[in-house]
Amino acid sequence: MQSRARASVLRLSAAVALAAVASTPLGVVAQSRSATDDVPRTADGRPDLSGIWIATSALGLLEGMEAVQAARAADREAGRSLPQPEPPPYKPEAEALRQRYLDRQGIDDPMSRCLLSGVPRINTRPLPFEIVQLPDRVIMLYEVHHAFRIIPTDGRPHPEDLEPTYLGDSVGRWEGDTLVVEVVGFNDDTWLAGTGTHHSEEMRVIERYTRDSADTILYEAVIDDPVVFEKPWRMYDIFRLRPNERIREYECIESNEDIVRFEELLRSGGAPQSN
Amino acid sequence: MRLTQPCLILSVAALLSAGAAKAHHSFAAIFDSEKPVTLTGTVTSVEWVNPHFHFALEVKGEDGAVAEWRFEGFPPNMLVRQGWRRGETLKPGDTVTVSGWQARKEPYLGSVHSVRLADGRELTAGPPASIGGR
Repeated sequence: MQSRARASVLRLSAAVALAAVASTPLGVVAQSRSATDDVPRTADGRPDLSGIWIATSALGLLEGMEAVQAARAADREAGRSLPQPEPPPYKPEAEALRQRYLDRQGIDDPMSRCLLSGVPRINTRPLPFEIVQLPDRVIMLYEVHHAFRIIPTDGRPHPEDLEPTYLGDSVGRWEGDTLVVEVVGFNDDTWLAGTGTHHSEEMRVIERYTRDSADTILYEAVIDDPVVFEKPWRMYDIFRLRPNERIREYECIESNEDIVRFEELLRSGGAPQSN
Repeated sequence: MRLTQPCLILSVAALLSAGAAKAHHSFAAIFDSEKPVTLTGTVTSVEWVNPHFHFALEVKGEDGAVAEWRFEGFPPNMLVRQGWRRGETLKPGDTVTVSGWQARKEPYLGSVHSVRLADGRELTAGPPASIGGR
């Protein structure tokens, strides 16, 4: 009975998500750019997103500050820019919970227990991911967690038997040269970005992927969660092609001492307060 | 043991936003950004494991007493992309200088940021102190 009720809620969420898409303005970033001539295209004329990518926000950890500075310089030269980051627009009670997570120094972070990072966080982890674009679906292969997403682009709706999951359920469609992905069916055991950025199972995410040059994808995520947010939260990043890269195995749980450490901290009264 | 001040954190911190990338765990819950350490010693063991590689360092203090420190840093996949090679870059018997931050509670546990090798190369080995927490 409970699962039927939950399925109904998820179907409703999916329907609401579709309605939200219809009323959501086109991607801010994609609108400001037109693709350069060197963007590879598939036989059907779509921009080909295939390749191995890393988020610019993750580049510093992966390769150091020189790589970040080079990326910023390339963006300036190309006239490529992103809107200023927005703080998460939490409702007062949800913001209070985020503050509690911050005060506990992040020991509640599901990622610290090696649980799957959700969407959009998984796109900004400091390990690369591969996009494989096929005529009827787009496949995302993440080195982190050794995770994957399969995003149908053949017009099918979200399934009716969704159970809440870490990465949710994705369906995609093309709006001009932008791949728009709707993601619903999340559990509430992921954080969205930095420490304490929690959400509910009612969250819907609209992602936009626009390959504006041979080397870059403009990325925008609009996160709508009426339970915790006053309004949708927008995040932006630029994914950068890594032509000589390969996706490697990464098994997070192999020797994760943080699970024991954080449990001990909780037993002893919690993490030390912020400095 | 020599203690020095951190010097290269701010430029990374300035990039971090609500949507920023993050290393695997919360730095601030375990380590203290107010306790930077720079230690020279002899490597006694190295473990290339996820989500953090570890190594042990035998350090002789000014009073002649020897302490064995344990440091943790990036996962192997990030190390290799920073130029590290398993079994070559850091191995037992090597004398190296390690920069990082001390743990809040455990006196001989540290988070490594960089390692200066015997040949003079300095390689990044872990995240800056600003990752995690607030």
